[in-house]
Amino acid sequence: MSTQTKAIISWIVTFIVMLIITMPGLWVILSGFRPLQEILAKPAIWIPQRLTLDNFYAIFGIGETQIAIPVLAYFRNSIIIATTSTAIAIIVGISGGYAFARYRFKFKDTLFLGLMLSRTVPGIALSLPVFIVWARLGWIDTQFGLILVYVALNVPFTIWLIDGFFRQIPKELAEAAEVDGCTRWQAFWKIEFPLAKSGIASAGIFAFLTSWNEFALASNLTRSTNSKTLPVGLTDFIAQFTTDWAGMCAMAFIIIVPALILTFLVQKHLIAGLTFGGVKG
Amino acid sequence: MSVMTNIKRKLFSEQATPYVLLLPAVIMILIVVLFPLIFSLYTSFTGYKLTRPDTLFKLVGFRNYVRIFGDWDFWVAFFRTVGFLAVVINLEFLLGLGIALLINKITWGQRTMRTIMMFPMMFSPILVGFQFKFIFNDNVGILNNALQGLGITEAAIPWLVDGWLAMGAIAFAEIWMSTSIFAILLLAGLFAMPKDPLEAAQVDGCNAWQTFRHITLPFLMPFAYIAMTIRSLDVARAYDVVDTMTGGGPAGRTELLWTLIARTGYDSANMGMANAMAYVSIILSIAFTYYFFSKLVAARRYMGGAL
Amino acid sequence: MTEVSLSQVVKRYGQLEVVHAIDLEIRHSEFVVLVGPSGCGKSTTLRMIAGLEEISGGTIKIGDKVVNKLAPRDRNISMVFQNYALYPHMTVRDNLGFGLKIAKHPESEIQNRVEEAAEILGLGMLMDRLPAALSGGQRQRVAMGRAIVRNPDVFLFDEPLSNLDAKLRVQMRTEIKKLHKRVNNTIVYVTHDQVEAMTLADRIVIMRDGHIEQVGTPLEVFDHPVNTFVASFIGSPPMNQLEGKVVDGGKSGLQITLADNILIPVPKRSKNRVSVGQDITVGIRPDDLTPVGHGMKEDGETVSFDLTVSISEPLGTETILFSSIGAKEVQGKMLNPRPIELDERLTFNLAMDRVHLFDAASGQNVLGDANG
Repeated sequence: MSTQTKAIISWIVTFIVMLIITMPGLWVILSGFRPLQEILAKPAIWIPQRLTLDNFYAIFGIGETQIAIPVLAYFRNSIIIATTSTAIAIIVGISGGYAFARYRFKFKDTLFLGLMLSRTVPGIALSLPVFIVWARLGWIDTQFGLILVYVALNVPFTIWLIDGFFRQIPKELAEAAEVDGCTRWQAFWKIEFPLAKSGIASAGIFAFLTSWNEFALASNLTRSTNSKTLPVGLTDFIAQFTTDWAGMCAMAFIIIVPALILTFLVQKHLIAGLTFGGVKG
Repeated sequence: MSVMTNIKRKLFSEQATPYVLLLPAVIMILIVVLFPLIFSLYTSFTGYKLTRPDTLFKLVGFRNYVRIFGDWDFWVAFFRTVGFLAVVINLEFLLGLGIALLINKITWGQRTMRTIMMFPMMFSPILVGFQFKFIFNDNVGILNNALQGLGITEAAIPWLVDGWLAMGAIAFAEIWMSTSIFAILLLAGLFAMPKDPLEAAQVDGCNAWQTFRHITLPFLMPFAYIAMTIRSLDVARAYDVVDTMTGGGPAGRTELLWTLIARTGYDSANMGMANAMAYVSIILSIAFTYYFFSKLVAARRYMGGAL
Repeated sequence: MTEVSLSQVVKRYGQLEVVHAIDLEIRHSEFVVLVGPSGCGKSTTLRMIAGLEEISGGTIKIGDKVVNKLAPRDRNISMVFQNYALYPHMTVRDNLGFGLKIAKHPESEIQNRVEEAAEILGLGMLMDRLPAALSGGQRQRVAMGRAIVRNPDVFLFDEPLSNLDAKLRVQMRTEIKKLHKRVNNTIVYVTHDQVEAMTLADRIVIMRDGHIEQVGTPLEVFDHPVNTFVASFIGSPPMNQLEGKVVDGGKSGLQITLADNILIPVPKRSKNRVSVGQDITVGIRPDDLTPVGHGMKEDGETVSFDLTVSISEPLGTETILFSSIGAKEVQGKMLNPRPIELDERLTFNLAMDRVHLFDAASGQNVLGDANG
């Protein structure tokens, strides 16, 4: 086989692989902009005939066709819960990650292992006792209750990533700053933090995506428009006997867009963070 | 005053600093994970039913555990879960490796490919579930639509209704969602790979397969184990996918441990029993993570100074 | 006046004691070099002076202030790190001015002092670059500039040249010496390279295993090493050390027998300090073991014996000759060299004035004090 045929074959295979990776998602997103009749047409209409925003108008309750699902409230809840829990998780993560990267102390390995293991607990398994305890404390169906859970869910991973980023910064820089007249805090804030900033940002986006996308816990700890998030809201479309496919597709688009944008922003850091965090241990 | 300054001094002394810095993280984990888990360990020894609050204090010893270990449905769900994970993680690794090698071969557009590969990673598992429920739907799904349109099959294939087909569809969704992480990390490994050992192997007379088998693959394994460790933290995401696609049905034929827990705990309100199962699932998750992490540590040691 | 004084300073990591109660007085505007093999505690000592390591016991004074508990920023010191520790996100200018900015000096003053330091170190062209865009030598200069800008009482250098290539190292060594002449501050300098120590120091502090072995001027530690460790550490090629025994030579007085039946007299200055039967380590610098007619000076007391030269390394002005006495390899030097044949047998002169005698058991110089 000549090199040229080989190259052509590998291009074709790559193309097919990329098609499989992208098509299912794109199809759903695209369907959000198509009228229901067209989505469900038999035989399938492959090339969209008509693009419309009707599905979005419908789920946001604008215009004539309205549906009884309060997407706007879910969207608001998702934004509040994901951003707040991310902000807290990042602060806690910087604090903890810095401790692991810069200090030697007793029980360091045990603590690290404990934090990581807490992350392995399956959401659904954790949801049972949290549900019971939160119910007693009156935290079921509150944004606060879910924020608290998401912070704890994100902290181990943010600590792991941020630890890795701080470790890349030579300890000597902070020492030099201290000799140059900085307090410990100034040395951190003026030297180490700016250098770890982009890494911390990507840890933050990772945390945001986790909170934004989480379902197992949210579906059991939320009840109403008080605290239901978009992923939980998505299941509202599945009624007993019918499913509003067009509405669901439109909502899928709303859930995916922030995630898409954020992930593309940090993809480089993300890979770097995961790789050296893991390889260098 | 002096007590306060004393406390202050202790708090800001060099030895105390790391503990103070870690305190918020530890408190969060205590409140949200450790304390509830201790509580759920307790409830797993009671006959607690959500509908009857007084049963929280009715200790039943090991009855829940005895019952689930004697329960055929539990064991079916348990082994289906283990088998499911074994199959999908291995397939994800193999597919990820294939994709990484493929992209590594391509001379331009590598970065674009890598970006495209991240696409499924952004999808919420619930969205993945929904998306494939839509695609595999026997009536309105695009897959059947396409198959029938092309004349490959006459009748609609009951993707999510037949037990085995539904399991396959779920596995497909799971693999679609998670292969990227393997591909991306293995590609990072291929990029990081030094050229010398490859050239040395060629000089030593290795053919392409031998070079791959003895040089490339051992170098990539730590990266594969990182992917597996990260992946094993999240295996329970499959709950979201299954819950949306089939809800564990038809007739429990796609029931995994996690959907069984949800059904027992929330739908049947049988919290004591569900917590006992939850403990089994926690141990399963820890076992998976521990297994891959120890492999990672061993692989790292084996690689010695090379990484 | 800025003296640095360490008294009974101890450093422990948990149970492990790495610096054992050391005493050291550094005078005002003195250039002191701490030297020793890696792990000897020299860097730890420097970091304790800087305040980057807590001290576990004893007292450190800078000027007449006890600084045991002071943070680094309150000690009025500056430090040049091994890897330079330049702030990667700041330009050269901002790196230089960082300390002054933190201390809230007025903008105009910062600018003047930064310009002045840049002038001294020839950094003018590089002021707006980031550290990543500098070469190793340039980074080194910026690190030094950052140290002098603040005009501290004490400069601390932690192996500042070890990341430079050999040629640049020699060049920077001279610059550091010039810098000291110009600013005249007290300098404490750590290195593992004895040549660096010899060339830079007013006084050298030789450390081993957390102890100070000897303190003295470069010539003192070279000419009068207190023990075998210092003797072998200072000087290149290293001092030959041969095992011998003191015997009574009758009329010839006390003598030392070496392997291969070589007998050398005990030098007069050491006569009363050795006794018959004592095991002695004889220290001979290669410079003092020279083929007849190829030595430095041949007055003084000499002893001659024949040795077979197994390897010779011509360096141009001199040739290093490798031979052996007993099983022990010895090195000699040939000045005004001529070609040496394979396994050539030569008569060597040993300059007895400069032979060092150490007690074999304790390793201490039998002359006792360094200036004997």
